[in-house]
Amino acid sequence: MSSVQHQICVIALALLMGSMAHATPPDMVCVSDGVFRPLFRSQTDLKEVSVKSFYLDVVPVTNEKFLQFVRANPRWQRSQVKRIFADESYLKHWAGDLELGTNALPDQPVVWVSWFAAKAFAQWHGKRLPTVAEWEMTAAASPTLADGTKDVVFQRDILRWYSTSSPGVLPAVTSGPANFWGVRDLHGLVWEWVSDFNSATVTGDARGDTGLDRQLFCGAGAIGAQDVENFPAFMRYGFRSSLKAAYTIHNLGFRCAKDL
Amino acid sequence: MILKTFSLAAALCVTALFDATSSLAQVLPPCCRPIAAQTNYTDKSLFQLDSIWTSDAGKRIKLGALRGRPQVVAMFFASCQFTCPLTVSDMKRIETALPENLQTNTDFLLISFDSERDTPAALKTYRAERELSGQNWTLLHGEPDDVRELAALLGVIYRQDANGNFAHSNVITLLNAEGEIVYQQPGLNLPADEIVAKLKAIATP
Repeated sequence: MSSVQHQICVIALALLMGSMAHATPPDMVCVSDGVFRPLFRSQTDLKEVSVKSFYLDVVPVTNEKFLQFVRANPRWQRSQVKRIFADESYLKHWAGDLELGTNALPDQPVVWVSWFAAKAFAQWHGKRLPTVAEWEMTAAASPTLADGTKDVVFQRDILRWYSTSSPGVLPAVTSGPANFWGVRDLHGLVWEWVSDFNSATVTGDARGDTGLDRQLFCGAGAIGAQDVENFPAFMRYGFRSSLKAAYTIHNLGFRCAKDL
Repeated sequence: MILKTFSLAAALCVTALFDATSSLAQVLPPCCRPIAAQTNYTDKSLFQLDSIWTSDAGKRIKLGALRGRPQVVAMFFASCQFTCPLTVSDMKRIETALPENLQTNTDFLLISFDSERDTPAALKTYRAERELSGQNWTLLHGEPDDVRELAALLGVIYRQDANGNFAHSNVITLLNAEGEIVYQQPGLNLPADEIVAKLKAIATP
């Protein structure tokens, strides 16, 4: 996996830190400069958005890690959280405020968490949520290629997950193979929050993007999807557009990112 | 008496130290009026947010500083060539349509998407250009993360394009005096009736 891309990360780091050695934070990897091709874009959007090198968690945040967070931050405990920041289902699978119980194993990805809670967790760790561009760029990597969009086998494996319903018991994190960057479980485990989930100004619903609802958006107007064969990308796009920040869902978790 | 509940100690407008008994709302913009001492906001109050905003007058406030009066809220950016001017016009139309007693007791809040260009000074210019009254209108600048969070709470969707402009959804939100969303009006160029009716309904006798 040693490659040009990985070297870029190291070089970018060295430049940033004034050639001082700077270790990658524990349990994160460096994803290097690249481009994200938005699925939809307007006349004024670029075809490719450049993404600067950043760190990303290797696996989604687990129940165990989230428990540590709520222990230290009581306002994010199930009985304490304010309704505007998380809906009624927040952490509903836990046995109690500070008890995981049998339905939430320590190494399973935490789910039933809102965007606000995910954001607060990240901040507490000195991290942040990844952007759509960062997440999608990283998730485009197959086990062997930084850009796995043309890797037929990889695409088929992803589609398989999207076409099956979530298992009753979520697998533990690290259950999936590492991709080119060393990141795991971007596909096949849970959906993940991103910082700018509320940035899709095309609803993805053809009825909503023409005619009546045009007044809803300013300066949007898509010129069509970029990669019409990328069904999983449509799924993610549609899923994110349907979210509200206080929502909590049985198969929606998150992982954190960090600037270099 | 409303004034009794005000406390200087909790005033978030740190630079505006004034006598709480001085005549209210005569000269002070919404950001800088004395605020209620208690911070026990309701579970659904947007005033719970910890984020710090800067008004076009350069005052640094939390949204809780706006507690006590209904807020007609929209997000915008000053250099918007498309719908924002219409949204602001819609808000002005609401203001004009209010009966006099509600006009002096309703605030209008504009929050910018554009953390980079909409500096407090730029917002001040915008206020002058659009002739937004100093008594009722608040224009706020915030950090990108805080703008994203507030947008999430208001259900506003937005994205910056390659030219630095913002594509965004158009919605006017009505907050009650406790900062809870009581009504949202999506769209543009809409009659003021609905929001005026809601404002009348929530006005305390």
